[in-house]
Parts: sequence; structure tokens; C-alpha cells
Amino acid sequence: VGALGDLINGFGTVVEPQNLFYCIIGVTLGTIVGVLPGIGPALTIALLLPLTYKLDATGAFIMFAGIYYGAMYGGSTTSILLNTPGESASVVTAIEGFQMAKRGRGGAALSTAAIGSFVAGTLATVAITFVGPAVAQIALKFQPADYFALTVLAFTSVAALVGRSLHRGLTSLSLGLAIGYIGIDVVSGQTRLTFGFFELLSGIDIVVVAIGLFAIGEALYVASRLRHGHEEIIPVEGSVWMTKAEWGRSWKPWLRGAAIGFPLGALPAGGAEVPTFVSYSVEKQLTKHPEEFGRGAIEGVAGPEAANNAAFSGVLVPLLTIGIPTSATAAILLAAFQVYNLQPGPLLFEQSGPLVWALIASLYVGNVLLLALNLPLIRVWVKLLQIPRPLLYAGILTFATLGVYSASSGSRTTLLIAYLIGVLGFFMRRYDFPIGPMILGVILGPLMEKQFRRALSIGQGDVSVLWARPLSVTILLLALLAAVLPYLPRIVARLRGRSADRLVFGADED
Amino acid sequence: VSVVPATKPVPTQRGRLAPLSSLVGLRVAALVVTATGGLLLWQSLEIRTPTGYSAIGPAFFPIVVSVALILLGLWFVVRTTLLPDADLATKAAEEDAATHWSGTGLLLGVLLAYAFTLDPLGYVLATTIFLPAAARILGSRALIRDVAVGLVVSLSMYYAFTRPLGIRLPGGVLGPLLDRIG
Repeated sequence: VGALGDLINGFGTVVEPQNLFYCIIGVTLGTIVGVLPGIGPALTIALLLPLTYKLDATGAFIMFAGIYYGAMYGGSTTSILLNTPGESASVVTAIEGFQMAKRGRGGAALSTAAIGSFVAGTLATVAITFVGPAVAQIALKFQPADYFALTVLAFTSVAALVGRSLHRGLTSLSLGLAIGYIGIDVVSGQTRLTFGFFELLSGIDIVVVAIGLFAIGEALYVASRLRHGHEEIIPVEGSVWMTKAEWGRSWKPWLRGAAIGFPLGALPAGGAEVPTFVSYSVEKQLTKHPEEFGRGAIEGVAGPEAANNAAFSGVLVPLLTIGIPTSATAAILLAAFQVYNLQPGPLLFEQSGPLVWALIASLYVGNVLLLALNLPLIRVWVKLLQIPRPLLYAGILTFATLGVYSASSGSRTTLLIAYLIGVLGFFMRRYDFPIGPMILGVILGPLMEKQFRRALSIGQGDVSVLWARPLSVTILLLALLAAVLPYLPRIVARLRGRSADRLVFGADED
Repeated sequence: VSVVPATKPVPTQRGRLAPLSSLVGLRVAALVVTATGGLLLWQSLEIRTPTGYSAIGPAFFPIVVSVALILLGLWFVVRTTLLPDADLATKAAEEDAATHWSGTGLLLGVLLAYAFTLDPLGYVLATTIFLPAAARILGSRALIRDVAVGLVVSLSMYYAFTRPLGIRLPGGVLGPLLDRIG
């Protein structure tokens, strides 16, 4: 009951005119940027970060919540109408959604995505309200060894589950970790991995890494092959509203999607990719219209979109209560918290209660605003898809440069570092290295090191402290399981004397 | 160690054939990963550990990560030579066929030029030149439209950032004029 009271206070904060205004701005900007092909939620937040520098923490986070949801909603629009998912969590949406659009039911696909997101987002917000403080209570008892184990779990699951190869996932992760260690070590005061460059003493900001990898890397990639392939934009014809039959086929997938998305997203091993794939296969099993799957089944949009939205809220549970981001987007959000000197973790609910509850309430308000703004404006968003590609990517580079330049208060060296990281991102895309693990590595690396050192100083230098507690052992075993999981079908098949591919959940998040 | 001739095709799991020449780029990438690990290890060994310090010094994790990168890079070398990864080779071959290096190279060139002209020319002028140039490299042929977009974007960003957001952007040669108008 205490949580509900806090939540109501949070709503009180959010509906103040000024904060409501920030929320509307966030939702609108998030949708506009998120709709643009090739821009996912992580990049959207990184690019829009400078806009919040002048706000107080509460205003900034209310705006972030709006951007977060707007970017996600915009992303599903792009997947449905253009078949170019901006992030892996929308890959599944594109499968059925694009087929629906081709059959002239693009409006219904967008509606079921929007209403499904709203339903799932509402349920997930209620779930955070109760689960969040409970997890924070449990997390208060966590020892540094447990935190260390959790970071290992987050690492291995993202390296193993995102992308097609554990080897390339781990390479990407290690590069990210190395970037995270650049600069002055806070514990010992020693400079690390700076190669003698004075500018590297303060480290490389994760915003610079994200903009470099996602925006500049992507633009360089597009430049290398723009003359190839052309895109098909499906116009939205007829009513955007769903028919009665479509409603009837949508509501159960929404609820199932929410039930799958939130818990899987809330695991400190998640992200939003896996739940969307799970939801899609569940709907495919349960549908009364199996013949429509692959040719535009509305269940295949409704379920995964709800799961995606619920998982996005779920990801906030480990982020806010334990301080561990499990997706690239959450990593950027964690960086945003650090800008305001807030340390997400079990104490956040106690120390910055009003802010956290305002954030949670604004997730809900953001959902309502999206539903109210976006369905009527859908034809406006579709116009954004018609921006000529050359101009779009030239614009992305301009805003990427502006983002890095303003985040580093006008440092040319930082700009050159961002371009260099962009070149790295270009080759990573070319050779199929996932980008998510690298982003996570940058922010989780120093965190893991800190907990490792703390654990060892508690154990007075004895490494066995890392597996002395049942909890940390369990988490480490889960990490091992996550690393093996994608290979299970192949192992089982080999035992039975057949061959099979490894499981692949989603290509990448950007 | 048997060296496979560069023209011999690699059978892929999908049954198609990928030319082995597509492995060349991957081999370079594998060596770059390994070398990066080596450079990082060299830098990690340079980190001074204060005396009398606790069990894990500041060099420990950087060393672990560098060694991991070297091992991952070497495994990558194996996967592009002795045990070629057919799927990845196919992907690399498709990429090779579709890549216009001139586009990427030119775009990187104008980006660098942009970084170096931002301060002397100022944000508005540099952006008004950069945006249409980048758009042209990316395939646009509507120069006047692109310049107009560049001017509108740079002016609105300049005033939005320097006034309400309070973030300094270089005025450059147009600085005095911009400040008088705004």
C-alpha cells in the first residue's frame, strides 16, 4: 500500500504543467527520431541527451521516460511500414507487420501495436510499482560478490544471446570493457590505457561510444552501399482502426505478451529481444489462423509488440534497483543518471524516492500520451519515412556531431574519437559483430571491477569469497547456462545424431 | 599448416559457394583484433600499481581484458584460415560485392573536414557546407534543397543551443552577425 501512495505522489509530480510539458516534448521528439529508419531507442536517447542538460533531475527523467517510449513506438512504425527494424526488439514485429501493411492492413497493424503497447505498458508499470521496491529490499542484502556475479551474468547473456556468434559477442564485449577502463582509475588514482593522450584521462563517455557506433558507423555503412537495394514504403490506406475481428484476435496476445515480456525483461540477463521472439512463437502455437502466419497475422504483431513494451519496462527493474543495465538503451539511461549524480541501486528508492516514483508515473503518462497523440497523427509520422535517404543520413551525421560536440563541451579530440569509433562500428557491422555487448561493456566494466575489488577486500584477498555464498554461486551458474543456451539445440541434435543451427535471438540492438 | 589457395571456394551451410577471397578482409580484421589486444596489454603492463596496495591492483582487469582480446583475436584467425567460418565468409562476400569504398572514404573525409572547420568557420557556416556535401556523397542530387536544409538546421540548432539550452557553439566568422540578429 505504501508503494501505491508513493506512486500517486509520483503522478502528482508528473501532472504538474511544466513536467507534463517535458513529457509531451519527450514523447514527441522520441517518436520523431525513433521513426527515422536506422535510429533505435539507444541512439535516440544519446542524441537527445543535450536537450536535458538545463533541466533539473526530475524534469530530465520525465523527459527521458517520454523519449524512451516514443522511440520504441516510432521504431515499430518503421518496422511495419518499411520492414527495416531500427532495433532487434522490433525484428519480429516487422515479420507479420510488414505483410499486413502489404495487404492494406497497415493501419490495423499500427493500431494493434500502439494499443498493445499501451495495455502492456500499463500492466508493466503496475508490476514495477510492486516488484521494484521488493527487489530493492532483497538487493539491500546483496554482497559485492553477488553484484560481481550479476555483472558476469549480464555480460555473458548479452554476449551469448545477442548476435549469431558467442565468439564475436565476446570480442565486442572485451573491446567495450577496454574502453571502459580508459582514464584515471578512481580507486588507485593511476592512469590506465591512455596511450599518453592527455584527453583520454577522463575516459571516453558512453554517449560518445553510442553515437559513434550507432550513428556514425551506420551512416558510413549506408554510404558504402546506398546505390544498392531500394526500400518500399507501404502507404497507410483506409481506416487505421481495427475491425471487431481484429480486436478479438488481439487482446489475448496483448495480455500474453505483457506476461512474457515483463518477467523476462526484469531478469538481470534480459533485454527486450528474447521476449519478443518467445511471444511470437507462443502466438504461432496458439493461433486459430496458423495459415496466416508469415502472411500478416495480427497476433504476430500484437503479442511481440506488447512483449517488447513490457520488457522495456521490465529492464528498468534491474537498472533502478540493482544498478545493472541489461541493454544498450539501459546503459545510456544509467549514464544519464550518473550525469545527475544519482547512483541507481537498492538505495535509490530511499534516497531519491520522489524522483523514482515520478519516473515510474511518467512511464505511465507517456503511454497514455503516445496513445492519444500517435494514432491520430499516424499519417504525419509516415511522412517522416519519406525523407530522402541521403538527406536523412547527412542529417544524422550533423546531429551526431552536435551531440558529441556539446556533450564534450566543444572538444575536437572527442569528436575525432567518436569518428574513429564510427569506423570501428562500420567494420563491426560489415563483419557481423554485435554492438550491444560493446556498449554494455563500457559501462559495466568499471562496475564489475569495483565490486570485484570490494569483494576481495572483504575476503581479505581470498578469491574464494566470490563463490562462498549460495546466491553468488547460483548467479554464476546461471551465467554459464546463458552462455551454453544458444548451443543447446545443436548439442541435443548432435547427441541424437542430427545437425541443427544454434538459436539466434535478434540480431542487434541499436 | 596447409595454406588454402585464395581462389578455392568454401562450401557454405546453405549450399552456396563463397569465394575465399572474401576471407582476406576477415583475416585482416582478425589480426587487428589480436594487435589491439597486444597494444592494450602493453599499455596495461605500464600501469603502475602503488606499493602496499590490496590484492587486486588497477592493472589486473585491463590485463585480463587484453589477454582475452588476444585469445579471441587468435581464435578469429583460426576461424578465417584453418577452420573457415562459412556463414561469415558468405556474409563478408556479400558485403564485398555491395561495398563502394569511395563513398565511405569520401564521407569520412568530409566528416574530418567538418571537425576541423567547426571552430574556425563557426557552427552555422561549417554545417551549411557539411550537410549538403555529405548528402551529395550519399547520393543526393538536389544541391539547392540540401544547402537550404543545412542553413535552416544549423541556424535553428545554433540559436536553440546557445540561447535556451545555454550550450556554447562556436560562432566563428559569422559570430558577430549571428549575435546581433538573435
